[in-house]
Amino acid sequence: MGFVTIPNKDDDGHIEHIYREKTDKRILKKNPWRDYRLHVTVFVLVIIAELIGTIEIPLSKDISITIMPLIYTIILGLAFYLAKPIKWIQRKQARIAEGAMMLFIGVLIAKLAVSSGQSISLIFDMGPALILQELGHLATILVLPIALLLGFKKEAIGMTNSIGREPNVAVVVDKFGFDSPESRGVFAIFIIGTVIGTIFISFLVTFSLSFLPLHPYAFAMASGVGSASMNAAAIGPTLAAFPGMETQIEAFAGFSNLLSFCVGIYIVIFVALPLTEKMYNWLEPKIGRDSIMPKKEDE
Amino acid sequence: MPDFIDGSENVSVHGIFNWILLLAIFSVIVVIGNFIGYQHPISDSLVGMAILSLITLAGVWMERYLPFNISSIIYISVMGIVLAFPGMPTSEILLYYVSKVELLSIVTVFLAYVGIGMGKSWDEFKALGWRAIIITILVIASTYLGSAFVAHVILVMTGVPA
Repeated sequence: MGFVTIPNKDDDGHIEHIYREKTDKRILKKNPWRDYRLHVTVFVLVIIAELIGTIEIPLSKDISITIMPLIYTIILGLAFYLAKPIKWIQRKQARIAEGAMMLFIGVLIAKLAVSSGQSISLIFDMGPALILQELGHLATILVLPIALLLGFKKEAIGMTNSIGREPNVAVVVDKFGFDSPESRGVFAIFIIGTVIGTIFISFLVTFSLSFLPLHPYAFAMASGVGSASMNAAAIGPTLAAFPGMETQIEAFAGFSNLLSFCVGIYIVIFVALPLTEKMYNWLEPKIGRDSIMPKKEDE
Repeated sequence: MPDFIDGSENVSVHGIFNWILLLAIFSVIVVIGNFIGYQHPISDSLVGMAILSLITLAGVWMERYLPFNISSIIYISVMGIVLAFPGMPTSEILLYYVSKVELLSIVTVFLAYVGIGMGKSWDEFKALGWRAIIITILVIASTYLGSAFVAHVILVMTGVPA
């Protein structure tokens, strides 16, 4: 796991600027727009996805599962990269796509912000719920015992203190050092989250919408998990489930993601991480198993 | 390597030119997807995307030029919120055009890039075991459900009608 490359704090010294580093590295030094094969491929994927459109699979007379075009584009995008015959989408294109994506996040954020601005008084009215739901993210710590039962040791601290996206990785690396077991844990969550996170969360949201009788605004606020792509994937099914409430849902989703971004990181530093360590010290002697992490062998 | 990322050198006309072209490509794809998926008129949604791209560009530019240690995400959010504020002279025209671009059209294109970009992590992903996959899934589910439940309880307690 040690070979995983993640922008670390030495590059810049500020957690908040991880997006900037990635964007600059990938975009400024190259001419990413020139890679027409990448953009044409995306264009074709989008047309295919929009033409297929939303598919509803009824499970019973009240409950149905919605599969949206956004799912097709993620899965097709990944499939195009992995498919051997498709030679024009390789590692280089993936790097450009990743850098470009860091810029396109801005457009997504701008659209959500416009909805937030439009509904600003509603946001103030819902202030308590919006702020307190950020504490709901602490629920990740409940996964710690399971990680211990599966045989993780200190990796579990890195794995379960937060959702493990870029800012969280930086916090853990900053605190425990690049080669620590805690950092290996958060890297693992980062990599797996990158590959399956968006797809998983869109299904999770679809099922939650069908089976949990929660307030529409609660679903909207929860979709701001602190990752732009997961936020995007989570909003889709929520918008589809509550037609006529688009602006409110976008407003809450956008604002809650913004809160996760500004406030969430401090919750991780000052509450989640210390709490995870306390839990670990308390639980590890009780339920810890033999470590399943491989002894450091020659890589 | 570090001089690569040190801000001052990178901020060039060349960089801004790259951003503009990328945003233009992105906008065209979104607008066509928006037309196929939602039948919004192409010209109106093109103006909408131009507005969103300008806000993005300004945010990304400010992050690199202004002497504050603030992320572009914050600049972009604040600009979007303020420009759309009810009563702002900009709000009416902004809302008209931006509403012609469905959020889902943006998301669909955005996630196509995400899908291709995440392929890069595939080998590393495969090297991680099933145990780590289980933990990741549980972590994502708990962070989402945790905040959904807290939000729901507070909304019900404060008597917000559904």
